[in-house]
Amino acid sequence: MTEDENSSKCRKQIFLTVNGKNVKAEIDCRMTLAEFLREELGLTGTKVGCNRAECGSCTVIMDGKPVYSCTVLAVEAGGRKILTIEGLMEEEGKLHPLQEAFIEEDALQCGYCTPGMLMSVKALLDRNPHPTADDIKNAIDGNFCRCGSYPNIIKAAIEVSEKMA
Amino acid sequence: MVESKLLVKGTLPPPLEREFTVIGKPLNRRDGVEKVTGRAKYSGDLKLPNMLYGMILRCPYPRAKIVKLDTRKAEILPGVKAVISKENTKGWRTYWYKVPQLAFPECVTYEGQEVAAVAAEDIDIARKALGLIDVEYEVLTPMLDAEETLKNLPPPRCADEEYPGSEIFDRKTYVIKRGDIEKGFKEADVIVEDTYTTQVSHHGTIQTRACVADWDGKDLTVWDAIQGVWNSKETFAQSLGLPPENVRVIVKYLGGGFGSKAWSQRISYYAAKLSMLTGRPVRIERTRWEEFLAHTRRWDCKMYLKMGAKRDGTLTAIYQKALVNIGAAALEENYYCVQIIWHTSNLHACPNVYLEQIGVYTNRQMTGPTRSPLNMPAIFALESHMDRMAEALGMDPLEFRLKNYTNYCCIGTDAAILPDAAVSDNEIRIPYSSKNLDECMKLATQAIGWERRKSLKNEAQGTKRRGIGMASYLVFQGVGFRPYTAYADVDIHHDGTIALHIGVVDIGGGQQTIFAMIAAEELGVHADEISVIFGDTKDTPYGPSCHGSRATPELGPAVLQAAAEAREQLFELAAPMLDAEGEELQSKYGQIYVKSAPSRSIHFKAVCFKVNPEKPIRGSGSRAPNPNSPMFSTFGAQAAEVEVDIETGQVDILRVTAANDFGRAINPKLCISQIYGGVEFGIGFALSEEGLYDPKTGKLLTRNLHQYRMPTSLDIPQIDAFLTEAEDPYFAYSAKGAGENTNAPTPAAIRNAIYNAIGIWFNDLPITPDKVIQAIREKKKGG
Repeated sequence: MTEDENSSKCRKQIFLTVNGKNVKAEIDCRMTLAEFLREELGLTGTKVGCNRAECGSCTVIMDGKPVYSCTVLAVEAGGRKILTIEGLMEEEGKLHPLQEAFIEEDALQCGYCTPGMLMSVKALLDRNPHPTADDIKNAIDGNFCRCGSYPNIIKAAIEVSEKMA
Repeated sequence: MVESKLLVKGTLPPPLEREFTVIGKPLNRRDGVEKVTGRAKYSGDLKLPNMLYGMILRCPYPRAKIVKLDTRKAEILPGVKAVISKENTKGWRTYWYKVPQLAFPECVTYEGQEVAAVAAEDIDIARKALGLIDVEYEVLTPMLDAEETLKNLPPPRCADEEYPGSEIFDRKTYVIKRGDIEKGFKEADVIVEDTYTTQVSHHGTIQTRACVADWDGKDLTVWDAIQGVWNSKETFAQSLGLPPENVRVIVKYLGGGFGSKAWSQRISYYAAKLSMLTGRPVRIERTRWEEFLAHTRRWDCKMYLKMGAKRDGTLTAIYQKALVNIGAAALEENYYCVQIIWHTSNLHACPNVYLEQIGVYTNRQMTGPTRSPLNMPAIFALESHMDRMAEALGMDPLEFRLKNYTNYCCIGTDAAILPDAAVSDNEIRIPYSSKNLDECMKLATQAIGWERRKSLKNEAQGTKRRGIGMASYLVFQGVGFRPYTAYADVDIHHDGTIALHIGVVDIGGGQQTIFAMIAAEELGVHADEISVIFGDTKDTPYGPSCHGSRATPELGPAVLQAAAEAREQLFELAAPMLDAEGEELQSKYGQIYVKSAPSRSIHFKAVCFKVNPEKPIRGSGSRAPNPNSPMFSTFGAQAAEVEVDIETGQVDILRVTAANDFGRAINPKLCISQIYGGVEFGIGFALSEEGLYDPKTGKLLTRNLHQYRMPTSLDIPQIDAFLTEAEDPYFAYSAKGAGENTNAPTPAAIRNAIYNAIGIWFNDLPITPDKVIQAIREKKKGG
């Protein structure tokens, strides 16, 4: 059997929820969740900086937990709830408090790590609304920012957590 | 009030004559919303209809000759639309920065060099096609270590143009000298010598290079990941034989540059060529390992220093011999043949210097601009050695630096950047336009608690030892000539729109925000009333590539001039409405008013209605080249407090204080972010980042982000950043560049702090735990 025949056989239908919307798709089983989001759904806010679970720019939230979408197969996301940066705004035109704080504290420069960074911080605050600076550092230690925004990211996260009830 | 000497061609704008309303405000960056919502489209996010996907076949050897190349199997693979290689692109040259280079050479001079490129219907087909290209290499012995390479004669070339720039730089010694070095050492009471090495390092931008090229039969549009649109437009046109007006380059967002993306590189030329061959848009995106192999790295350096001083701390002589591994390619604008020695020559006052810098071509990866390119290695060696000297003299390191403080520079910028003379013997003393380094040194050391240096030893707990160290730096600013000329246009439209047109990229430094603020201040409106047209060669005048802390000092004066010129024209329309003369008017917060009677005022926008709808007001600005005197520089000092674990060799940085003289901060919030970024870069260079090569095969071993260790959130300490503000009448509101060089002093400050903690000098970067443990053991053995 050639590789082509092999891959054509390996297609699967998946149903999942992305940013609150039900999605149904037939996909190549080798496709990663990051590729699926970016190439199939056009959700290019999720970045791929290394494609091997090192840089964190592809971080999305799957069933409440932050995951590297470059190392989750799209088929593994079947039946699950995915939240990407595009779904972070609570309603159109109204930024999530974390997004506001990131802008206010200048917690971004080039912006490429920002979507993944925001998803990691969001997942942290969802499970621990009042983290310490060390908790935040640990939550984002899998997200590289090369521009040097870590101090401001930590500030932004603390600022939001302080405002949370 | 200092008289304006703004670096512009033509008429000097009149002084502002009022307090600032926009400059100095910590405004948020303008593209924040796009970046936090994921709406910001970077080049690799674009998906055009009918787009093809490109991939590049790379040579797995550092030095080899291609003896057979057969692409036929790849070409007939269904879904493959084009394959390019040396076989079908004979004589085609792409550009390596400004330098034409064979697009696909026959002789490969570094691992990862491009051998062929394919465009296919999808990325899987493209990948499969690469595997079908039949290529045979004659593997040659690579040149790796610079010192070893220098011991042997250069190997015979197997083709022309193998090592671009080698005729100017390979094995050439550049010298800066002044005074009499022998006399200087004779006068010295204390002489200290030592050798320092710095490693291969990478930019590690989170976005890898990605490019989409679209040829429509007449015009080529390139959405690229580069720091300059205009420089790249020109070289695309030259490479592809197109009139420049038929090439448009767009960069709306850039995922980190740090020099690696200073100019377009081969992938973009391949994407363009493949698009021209297929008539379809082509996207090529580098993988992370390709990024490590095929982008330019920082030079690895070995620097011998010998310094002499009188008992009172006065420096009498500096001798240096610096050896730089250039890798496989360098040319004007990407190898700085006197940069190490220029910094050694000018950071501190010393009457007698003899400094040599030798570059050697090898088969390690190409080199090029990397945040503080050769400054960081130079400053590491120099500022480490200054502490050695201070120790030998029994002086406080801060006091020793202040003792040798200087307000002038000993050669012009020309000598520093032009390789026109192998020996520079220039004793001309050029004053700095402004210099606040002494204040920076005092601020940084005060903030860290410098006086604790002596007592920290007594505070040792368990296996932990604490120490404090410092270092300073300088870097020159702007040039103002090709390819860094800078122009700006400000248009005021009938409907009240104010448009600033600038041909620069916002690489994350906040360039669009800063220039909008300069224009807004000059026009007397709020910054958010300015629309900025940038990052696109369409509808913008020529702008410099955004590297070398370049944008603000190069373009700032032009933006100010353009805005002032537009304002003057608008005032002419406002004058009759206010029953006054144009020159009697002033503006701020969106109001135009009579200077002597501010209550006589009118809305800025109300005056815009008088602008001819067919012909908006246009003000234009143009940067003049740097004069021969004075010298323009920025300065800074950093202090670090570290904790060394003498059992594990782990160095933890507890705090860094950084004080900088950038002139005046247009936007302090953005300036401080730049300092954080520099310190992070410096920490990585000091402690963990290192490109490692297999000594036998010469292959790069560190080709992912686990092996190449950049700092994470856990590695970054508290950073206290300070901005000292100084008047510099040559720049827009005294603003110079903040971006590039804030990493330069960090490694030396950390290294000097480690000495303070455990009494061991580390001269080889990075200072990893294995080196620390080894040194502690040796010290114990030695008693």
